[in-house]
Amino acid sequence: MLTRDTTPRTDRAMPIFITLVVLGILLMTFHVRLDGGGVIGVMRDGAQTIVSPLQRGASYVVNPIADAIDSLGNIAGLREENRALAAALEDKEAQLIAVQSQLARLELFEELYGLNTAGTDIGRTVANVIGRPDPFDVGMTIDRGSKHGIAVGQPVIDPSGYVVGTVASVTASSATIVPITASREGVRVLVGQQIGTLTSQINSAEMRLDIRDAREPVFAGDRIVTSAASVSFPAGLPVGEVLTDAGVEATSIDTTALLYTNFDTLQIVIVLAWPADPVSGLGQDPVPEVTSTTVDPNTTTTDSGGTTTTGEG
Amino acid sequence: MRARTFAVVFFVVLVAVVIQTTLFGRVRVITPDLVLLVSILLALTRIRPEVVLGIAFTSGLTIDLLGSSLLGLRAIVFTTAAYIAIRTRERADIGRIATAIWAGLISLVAVLLLVVVATLFGQSSILGEHVATRLLTVPLANALLAFIVAPTLVRVVDQDPAALRYS
Repeated sequence: MLTRDTTPRTDRAMPIFITLVVLGILLMTFHVRLDGGGVIGVMRDGAQTIVSPLQRGASYVVNPIADAIDSLGNIAGLREENRALAAALEDKEAQLIAVQSQLARLELFEELYGLNTAGTDIGRTVANVIGRPDPFDVGMTIDRGSKHGIAVGQPVIDPSGYVVGTVASVTASSATIVPITASREGVRVLVGQQIGTLTSQINSAEMRLDIRDAREPVFAGDRIVTSAASVSFPAGLPVGEVLTDAGVEATSIDTTALLYTNFDTLQIVIVLAWPADPVSGLGQDPVPEVTSTTVDPNTTTTDSGGTTTTGEG
Repeated sequence: MRARTFAVVFFVVLVAVVIQTTLFGRVRVITPDLVLLVSILLALTRIRPEVVLGIAFTSGLTIDLLGSSLLGLRAIVFTTAAYIAIRTRERADIGRIATAIWAGLISLVAVLLLVVVATLFGQSSILGEHVATRLLTVPLANALLAFIVAPTLVRVVDQDPAALRYS
């Protein structure tokens, strides 16, 4: 037995417990009713404003420690992973050389025909992932906020250009992003020429791909990109690939897909200033009046006629 | 609760929140829920039970505010875990291993409750790809951490080097 001092305690635990549970249920109800806005949004912004500087400071110390612990845990797979990464790097370098030659030809043709690019670039803000709330929540906190041009609803991609998710809430210097695996509505995507919807599945890395009005079968390895019908993402962003072959059944296809992005290892993300025009929601071909590029050691922001957007457009 | 104890508890919870959201948010090998563990272990201190419940509620609410899921979800779960801890704390008195098992079992109840409530409220951000694995790894990691830190945490909070000494 332990020698802890057991001073007599009056038992008011039960009524306090019931009160707090009722308060919690009320908060949950308010959250649902206000859709995360109002006083709930203000509370969330306040908490994140206080804690995010601490998280940012801690992440400088913690990241090397986390890398070391992770490396120790995955020491067996590291050599194999390095080999795979080296092979992938060689492949990408070859692709880069091919693209560079194509770009040179494109520039030549543009010069010959006197063409000017119409500013189709979407503003990008590079951000570090500085926090994840707990082992169950897939949301991530990043170190860039509204003062860096980030707004709620903006799409987020990883450094390879693969879709990650959207911005769920923003404070002045931080934001919370929610991966597409946590989206209840799903993501409108394009497989070949067919438009479908990707929705998450419980306890699975695979997502469900549902294509209505299907005309042709899909095959394993088929590339999935965001559709122009999506209100959350610009068209053409790579999302993942079809996992299993599926034929058309009564004009629809139901199969599984695997995302390209690994959310567990994500440390850097890119927030896109899209749509460029929040009123019309037209983000496909923004024609900028002013184009500026700001570069600092951690962030690169390219403004193309409207980095500040609101909502999903 | 004295001002000094309040300051110590505030600091402990704040450190737990920062470590949880940074270090344990990145490490994939060990996945404890440090803030939940602190809420459970505070039941072993001399702090009054109703205050422990209040701390657990506030801690859970803080994690809710930092996350993307429903506000109040973890507040309810942490408060329930703290209440179970208060009601069963005598079972943790036997020794260090008993404390670890006790904390692990309460953590298991808490994460099960979290998943059930999240499912009822359609919180897909909680029900990700690792949810089944985490139902086991979180209580195990919490048990391991409780084995290591429980006596120290209780002594620091109670400011009594003789607190929680097993014989």
